[in-house]
Amino acid sequence: MEALLRELHQGPDGIAEYRDTEISGAELTIGSGTDQRIQLLGTAVAPEHAVIRKSGSKLDLSCRGGKRVRVNGEERSSAHLEIGDVIELAGHQLTIAEPPGGFDIAIELRPNENIDASEFESAFRTDLGQTWLSKRPAAWLLVAIVLIVGVVLPITVIVMHRAERELPAWVPGDEFWNSGPLSPAHQQAAGVRCDTCHKEPFVRVQDDTCMSCHKTIHDHVSPEHLALTQLGPTQRCATCHREHNEPASFLVNSSDAMCVDCHAKSNEKFAQLHVEPVSGFSAKHHPEFKAWLLKPNVPPPQTSPASGGGQGGGEFEWKTEIAALDKAVEQSNVKFSHNQHLDPDRVLRRGDSQPLNCADCHRLEPDGEHFEPITMENRCAECHELTFDPGAPDRQLPHGKPREVVLTLQDYFTRKFSDPNAGRPTRERRRLPGREEEEQTCTGAPFDCAMRSAHAEIENQFTRRGCVGCHMVVDTKSDSDFDRFQVYPIRFARDYFPAGRFDHRSHQIQGKLTGDAACLSCHKAKESQDSKDLMLPAMGKCEECHGDRPAVERVAVQCVSCHSYHPQLTVAVEAPES
Amino acid sequence: MIHRNLLLFRGARYLWWSLVLLIGSGVLYATQGNVQPPNGGTWQGYVLGSIGALLILWLTFLGVRKRSYKTTMGSVQGWTSAHVYLGTALLIIATLHAGFQVGWNLHTLAYALMIVVIFSGFFGLYSYLNNPVLISKNREGGSRAELFAELFELDKESRSVSQKCAPEVGIAVASSIERTTLGGGVYAQLFSGDESLYVRGTGAPVRNIDQQGVIDFVAERLPRAQKGIEAANLQHLIVLLCRRQAVLRRIRRDIRLRGWLKMWLYFHIPVTFALLFALTAHIVSTFVYW
Repeated sequence: MEALLRELHQGPDGIAEYRDTEISGAELTIGSGTDQRIQLLGTAVAPEHAVIRKSGSKLDLSCRGGKRVRVNGEERSSAHLEIGDVIELAGHQLTIAEPPGGFDIAIELRPNENIDASEFESAFRTDLGQTWLSKRPAAWLLVAIVLIVGVVLPITVIVMHRAERELPAWVPGDEFWNSGPLSPAHQQAAGVRCDTCHKEPFVRVQDDTCMSCHKTIHDHVSPEHLALTQLGPTQRCATCHREHNEPASFLVNSSDAMCVDCHAKSNEKFAQLHVEPVSGFSAKHHPEFKAWLLKPNVPPPQTSPASGGGQGGGEFEWKTEIAALDKAVEQSNVKFSHNQHLDPDRVLRRGDSQPLNCADCHRLEPDGEHFEPITMENRCAECHELTFDPGAPDRQLPHGKPREVVLTLQDYFTRKFSDPNAGRPTRERRRLPGREEEEQTCTGAPFDCAMRSAHAEIENQFTRRGCVGCHMVVDTKSDSDFDRFQVYPIRFARDYFPAGRFDHRSHQIQGKLTGDAACLSCHKAKESQDSKDLMLPAMGKCEECHGDRPAVERVAVQCVSCHSYHPQLTVAVEAPES
Repeated sequence: MIHRNLLLFRGARYLWWSLVLLIGSGVLYATQGNVQPPNGGTWQGYVLGSIGALLILWLTFLGVRKRSYKTTMGSVQGWTSAHVYLGTALLIIATLHAGFQVGWNLHTLAYALMIVVIFSGFFGLYSYLNNPVLISKNREGGSRAELFAELFELDKESRSVSQKCAPEVGIAVASSIERTTLGGGVYAQLFSGDESLYVRGTGAPVRNIDQQGVIDFVAERLPRAQKGIEAANLQHLIVLLCRRQAVLRRIRRDIRLRGWLKMWLYFHIPVTFALLFALTAHIVSTFVYW
């Protein structure tokens, strides 16, 4: 397309000047850009505003997207151009004229003389606002993303879950609202279902929900006890047990504040419940330890054969007695000296002849706190045999069954005096004070001799040599050998501090002390001559190493280091008979 | 100077406000921890979160305050000064509120959006402190319109002088003017991209970065000029082209500096709106799953 452009100007002297330019090209572009065939300046002119094309013999004008021009006074975005048409754009006037020979189109341009050269800037995109960047659409886009991902999707999932509708596995679900990791066990139980615990929207997790799995947990105070106090309802589980925290393993609020909040003012708040106030772990703030002891209720000696003998006649009742440590007396009924057993000059271990260690008798249970119950069979018998006749070292008396002891001895001597194959059947042994052994001759009937010997040996065992070594034996002076001696049963407390937890295992090494030295640093066994000694350390001993707040050379302990908020089922005071 | 006033407004009054707020927040944060690890769920966390949320609302309100010219609620300058200091304080307060805990969740999304807003704000502050000085130095006191007017005049003069030279010079200069690019897209504006071309004799247009191509093309013609008048024209043309080159450089630099001065707002504003919604969702979701 060949075009002739005639630019008309008002000269300085008022005479019209014109300048002709020949343009050739496929199309005639109009705009403010420098690369436009017809460059028109002005803020209303886009860098690329319109274009004139020749189609056949006609001329078509079309504007770029959204732009407009005035054609013969009419706003148009496209038009067929005829000779004489006038196009107006930002004060510029283009008139289509009859083209001279050789030209397809002739345009007379009257530029807007009022346009300042400075508006030349509009020929370029010089501001970020003219680019694709824009604040409003970006804001809407971002808001939409936030709303979809952060609100719509989670709420849809919540609604679906509440309607028990299955969701495809790939749906991200409402975990996008998860404020932090769950502890692994809870994570496993809840999976991606927040409503496992969060049953109702805008309602905090209820205790019932916790209890639906934790069925065996007990409340800190029983409802009956709580009713006696001026305390309100117990705290929510979640008061102490915080989830969605980091680290994920953090699940228990172990701060003392929660405990001390009530217990510091137990005098006022606990009303009829007598609990000593506690506000920390020091002599000033914590009551001294009290031991839970077993106290035997000794029944009066009975001689009735129906009693079966051996259990002290009537039933022995054991009651729990709580006593201050300095007044506490162990009443296990055993005769035992720790001092003696730990003295290498007097007692050596059977087998390797080494001095006894604490652990030879006291074996820690897997819980690290308690010790295996000590019984005759599992501990003492290793050294202490119940032989009664040096001539028959393989025969032992049964332990713990006085009636059978009597029967055994009677049986033994009956056989001894009546067995024709036994050597020297008419002799009976009798041990006398000052003399190791003396043999006497029995001249009566073998059965009488046997009974006499048995009677003597029974008396010997229960009063001088056997049972009485460890047991308290009461002589009822009964005529019957079966009823005469009553042996007090032995019981050891399993846990002197059932309200407290003490990890023996972690205390087996205390600073530089290990082994027996560690045990003996708290339990003064080497000084104990009598089984009445309790040998339990007072709180001051704990305070040598522990305090309720971090300090130099002190290991900080909290209430829950020793005490359990949730009551344990008490195995504590009872122990199997020994 | 505005930037001095912005940060030192009334003896940096809002710096002290912010410091007091930060110390208070630090104390609140430090009192957590013996009950459970610091996080948004303790009472201290709730207080810090409430302060943070109120700050975000107030900081957003600068956009409203800027546009209300009749208000008597302090000067825009004072508001902007407070906006900068309290916005910076928000960064720390929100971090303390979160207890340094992050995850792939809505809560961290809100935090991340806030970080984008605040750091784009820092960039904006930096630009406002630096670029105006650079811009006015670059323009040497004139306006951008004046630079363009000068360019326009130089274009016209160059065209008319080049017409008097050999045809290939005329074509080269006219094409270089027509094919001069300024600004353009985001990248071109921010990094002074130059896609200018000119026609060297015949054939396709070639690169004309910084107009050096066309200047060299014309300069090469100078020794071969046969008539005195031709050499004079060429010399005049070279002077014009070099002046044009200098003006174009200034305009490009102006566009670049102005671009960076405004660029941060394209993050700051849209992300602020996203943040407002994320913040609301964060608060509501926290209490849905209380």
